[in-house]
This record gives sequence, structure tokens and C-alpha cells, in this order.
Amino acid sequence: MGVVERLSRLDRRYIFLAVAIAVTLPIFFPIGLPIEVTAPVKQLYDVIEDLPERAVVLISIDYDPSGAPELQPATLAILRHCFKRNLRVLVLGMWAPGVPLGMKALEEIAENEFHRQYGIDYVNFGYRPGGAIFLINLGRDVHDVCRTDVYGTPVEDLPMMDDVHSASDIALVISMSMGVPGSDQWIWYYHARYRGKLATAQTAIGAPRYYPYLQTGQLIGLIGGMKGAAEYERLVQTRGLATIGMDSQSAAHMLIIGFVILGNFIFWMQKRKR
Amino acid sequence: MLMTSGPWVWIAAMLTLAIYSFLYKDNPFYKIAEYIFVGISAGYWAIFLWWNYAYPNLFEPLAKGNYLNIIPIGLGLMMFTQLFRRTAWLVRFPLTFVLGVSLGLQIVAAVEGDMVPQLRGTFSPFSRGVLFGTADFWTSIGYIVLLVGVLSTLIYFFFSKEHKGFLGAGARIGIYFLMIAFGASFGYTVMARISLLFGRLHFLFSDWLHVIK
Repeated sequence: MGVVERLSRLDRRYIFLAVAIAVTLPIFFPIGLPIEVTAPVKQLYDVIEDLPERAVVLISIDYDPSGAPELQPATLAILRHCFKRNLRVLVLGMWAPGVPLGMKALEEIAENEFHRQYGIDYVNFGYRPGGAIFLINLGRDVHDVCRTDVYGTPVEDLPMMDDVHSASDIALVISMSMGVPGSDQWIWYYHARYRGKLATAQTAIGAPRYYPYLQTGQLIGLIGGMKGAAEYERLVQTRGLATIGMDSQSAAHMLIIGFVILGNFIFWMQKRKR
Repeated sequence: MLMTSGPWVWIAAMLTLAIYSFLYKDNPFYKIAEYIFVGISAGYWAIFLWWNYAYPNLFEPLAKGNYLNIIPIGLGLMMFTQLFRRTAWLVRFPLTFVLGVSLGLQIVAAVEGDMVPQLRGTFSPFSRGVLFGTADFWTSIGYIVLLVGVLSTLIYFFFSKEHKGFLGAGARIGIYFLMIAFGASFGYTVMARISLLFGRLHFLFSDWLHVIK
């Protein structure tokens, strides 16, 4: 049996093993490959930079733990940027399993790193069911659809919410999304009615779908997958999980490109033989 | 070193390894992890739907005297009438309601959120005359490529006439655009899967084994 024949019958588990090694090695031995910031990520950064102090940024945690490796680093980086700029942050989410992730992110950044005050600098309304209906009503009357926060505190007892009543009081919405309900609903039901600035962070699988919305101006920024999060981490000058993961990503991608070329070569050789 | 990890981290680590063991071959550890996941998911969603939808939106207001809520409860119960042949026709009422509301929401969303802005985004650079005028060279090229891509892809999906001549050429160009789009999606999908693997491996090495910070 020739080399080509033997490779064509290679047990797929060797490929799994090779990918696992390619992802693992850079965790222990970082390469430190450069991370170039792309325009869609920079645009979001610039919009946050240009917001006036104490403006309200709404972050919608529309993902669950399976999307956390890609989206949680982006959430942390954006929160870091917002608090650095002294903006007020309103967190809510249309995915119930995302609530603990939002709480964890606020605890890490707002409480421990920036020592911001809950109810004055940031609030967390937790899970908000209803999808489209919720978003339509949110833009009309925030207090009506967010009557209590995630801890059960009435919205009237949260000083930050005194001047936040409708979509016009929210300077920027960022949907951290991995599916439905998520960015689609924010674009269709919120932005289409109330306009304003809307950006999204997507898992890599979802990201390509949102580029057309950038071109039309419906989105002012797009963070795509772990790569986008790494770019944002670079902009806010932190070395988070996404930046650490980029070396593993690059190594695995190179390996997969190699496999694709090898697979095509074997296919071509076998075809020629026949 | 390992003992510093809490019990929940150990459970998460064991379940992670059990799930990944499937890559070697199907085995009892994988099956156990799979059944635990399915069982917990079913229980979680049952409780979740009750406390987030049914109780606060239906039963709590009803208990407080909002008797109009009997209507949605009745419509919900009518969904179950399809289980019996004699009453199955009653299911049309709640389904009609659901379809009507969904259509109303979707049509507006599709037109306002997708169709009109996307058409405007594709054609407005030409109608506004920004090509090679106010826009730079590569941006102008981008607008043209976008327009060619949209039109040729639409031609590819136009099945009322045989793809010959102009339509054939357009459809062939459309195929190339589709291939590029699929390729980009595939690339992003690979990136997503590697991110998930990295996330799990990082968890194992940092939170569980503490061999990295």
C-alpha cells in the first residue's frame, strides 16, 4: 500500500489528536502572534469613545455558557471600556442561562476592578422574556417592561433609571448574541422602530450574516467570535482570554489548512490513478 | 494541587472529559454524560417555562383578579384538543391566533428591518452618485462587486426560465459568489469550534488542574 493510499485511510482520530495538540501547545508556550484590529471592531470602539460621560449603554446578554468562550471575553472588554469612559451600563438578557454570565462579568469588572456603585453606575435587569414583544415595548417604556431588577429591587428604587425611560435615553445598544432571540430581534424590532446606535458581538458562526447590516448602517460595529474579542481586548489594552486563545486559533487553523490541502492532494492523486 | 478545585469544578471537568471521550469511540461515560445533559435540560426548561412565562404572565395576574387571562389559558388548553379525533378541529383557534400575531410581527420586521434597508444599502451608492466621486476607489469597487453579487445570486435562484445565455452567465457568476460566501461561513465555523475547544481546554488546565494561570 502506497503512502497516498495509507493517508486516504488514515483513522480520523489521529486528526482529532493533532487538532487537540495544536490547540493545547500554544496555551503552555504562547507564540504571541500580532492581532490586527479590523474596521467593524474599531468602529464600535470609536463610538464608545465618542459617547458623552454618563451616557447609558445597554448590553444584552443573549448567549448561554456554550457561547461563553467567544462572547464572555468580548463582554468583559466592552464593560471595561464603558467603565473606563465613566458610562452607565444597563445589562439585561433574552437568554435565561446568560444571567449568571452577566452577573459574573459585572462582578469582575464593575465591582472588583472599577469599584462602581450598583444602581447608580450600572443596573442588571437579568432575564427578560418575550423576544420581539419585549423589545418593542422596551423602546417605548423601559420602566414598564423592567419593573424589577435581577435582585427584585423595584425600578423606582434604582437612581440610575430616573432618567432612563425610553429608547431615546439609551445612547448605545450592544447585543452579545449567539442565536434567537438575539441580534436579529434587536435589528428588526428595536432598531427598525427606534433607530439609535446598535452594535453586536457574535459567535464566529453567526458573524458573517451580520456584515450586510454594517454596510447599511443598521449596525455601527461588529465583533465576530473570539478573534473580534481579541481585537477589542487589544484596543482596551488588556490581555484577556480571547488574546490568549488567538495563538491556539492560529495554530489550529494552520493545521486545518494543511489538512485541506493534503486531502485535496490525495483526492487528486487517486483520481489520476483511476 | 488538584484538591484545590471545588466539587463543581470536578464534576464539570469529568463531564467535559466524558463528552470528549466520544471522539475515541462511543462508550458508557459518554452515554452517562449525554443522559445527564438531556435530563437536566428537560427539568431546567420545564421549571424555567413555568416561572418565567406561565406563572408570572398567566396564573399570578389571574389570582390577582385579572380574569381576562382566562382567554389565553383557554387558547393554550385548546392546543391539547388535537390529541383526540373528535375535538381536534378546535386546535385551529389557538393556531390561527399564533399565526396571525407571528405574521404581523414578521412581515413588519422583514420589510422594515431587512428588505428596505438592504435594498437601499445595495442601490443607494449608485442613485446618490457617490461612485468614484466622493467615495474612494476601492470603496467604489466594493459597491460594484456588491451589486453584481446580489444580482447574479438572485439570477441563480431564478428558476422560471432555463439558465442559458445571459441568465446562464449570470447564474454562473452567482455560483462563485455563493461559493465564496459558503467558504467564509465555513472558515468562521471552524474558528467557532476551535474557540469552544480552547475554552474547554483552558478550563481544564486553569480551573481544574491549575497548571496555568
